Amino acid sequence: MDVTCEVVGEGTETLLLADDATYADVCRATGYSPHEVTVLVDGSPVPEDAPVESSEVKVLRLIKGG
Amino acid sequence: MDCDRCGAEAVMHAAYSGAHLCESHFRESVERRVRRRVREDDLLPDDATPEDPERWVIGLSGGKDSVVLATVLDETFTEDPRIELVALSIHEGIDGYRDASLNACEELTADLDMRHETVSYEEELGVRMDSVVEDDPENMAACAYCGVFRRDLLETYAEELGADKLLTGHNLDDEAQTALMNFFEGNTEQMAKHFDASIGPFPERRESDHFVPRAKPLRDVPEKEVALYCHLRDLPSHVAECPHASEAYRGEIQELLLDMEERHPGVRHSIMAGYEELAGVLADEYREEDGDGPDLSPCERCGSKTARDICRKCELVAAVDAA
Repeated sequence: MDVTCEVVGEGTETLLLADDATYADVCRATGYSPHEVTVLVDGSPVPEDAPVESSEVKVLRLIKGG
Repeated sequence: MDCDRCGAEAVMHAAYSGAHLCESHFRESVERRVRRRVREDDLLPDDATPEDPERWVIGLSGGKDSVVLATVLDETFTEDPRIELVALSIHEGIDGYRDASLNACEELTADLDMRHETVSYEEELGVRMDSVVEDDPENMAACAYCGVFRRDLLETYAEELGADKLLTGHNLDDEAQTALMNFFEGNTEQMAKHFDASIGPFPERRESDHFVPRAKPLRDVPEKEVALYCHLRDLPSHVAECPHASEAYRGEIQELLLDMEERHPGVRHSIMAGYEELAGVLADEYREEDGDGPDLSPCERCGSKTARDICRKCELVAAVDAA
């Protein structure tokens, strides 16, 4: 399936994912570990192990600096 | 997916515990872990009273970690007259970065009605990180200078503000990285120091008369969850990377840990559980060897406590001035 993914602050790309992909796969496809980003669907965070059900997602990067 | 506790829509999955939590149960879970750490490390001594309260100075950078720490502690202790919280920010002299994060600090402390003090490298030490990086007289990474300057100012001003403890927003990822770095460097002495300086429960630490004791109440919460908590509560925090960030070795360890965590969920927690125990044993061992610890005396230039004639901060400031 095709998913339009905006990595906030970096740009938007279209990801080609397996039909049973999870949001963790979305993170990996953008080059990030699921432990360093959060996936947002319609502005709300989603669990990474949930199957992708939206064709548009945002990936929010965690930023260093306490 | 549904929250394990109430069936509402889950906003996160913690692979290390298997939990799926909704926004409200996730927030509760973060707050509970911070409060538990405060209890387990015995941060609040029995002799703190409303008449003679404990004063905790929080190092507040305006980034997500210190913002979440200040918020959770404020909400936890707002009704407790035995605790006074003061926020302390440091301006390193980094154009376009620190000014924005100090705005976040000011907004947060105004919202929380918390006393807030700011000190700058420029006023206190006569240096700005932007010029330090340009001159780089010691051929070191920016963070190596900045860490020495920041620790010195936090320490000095925590003491000046009458702090009983100095609290920082280090999260689980930060601490697991430090633990692994100490392992990989084979630095057992550093592990013992880490225990006495900031991660040991207070009754088990070697007390030092020289420094305000430090603690890290956020250190059980993974970095991602700190960021998620900050996002969900829409807390004022400054989202940007320091333009001089350059800790290459720590970056390698971070990548390694994230990769391990993906394949073996819970590895950061287990590293820290074992490390804390080991660091405690090592701290005991080193105490037997060197008694009350190293002899410290005032730095000849600034008066900070140091094991040498001139402290590291003054050495670096002199090198920067000479460049």
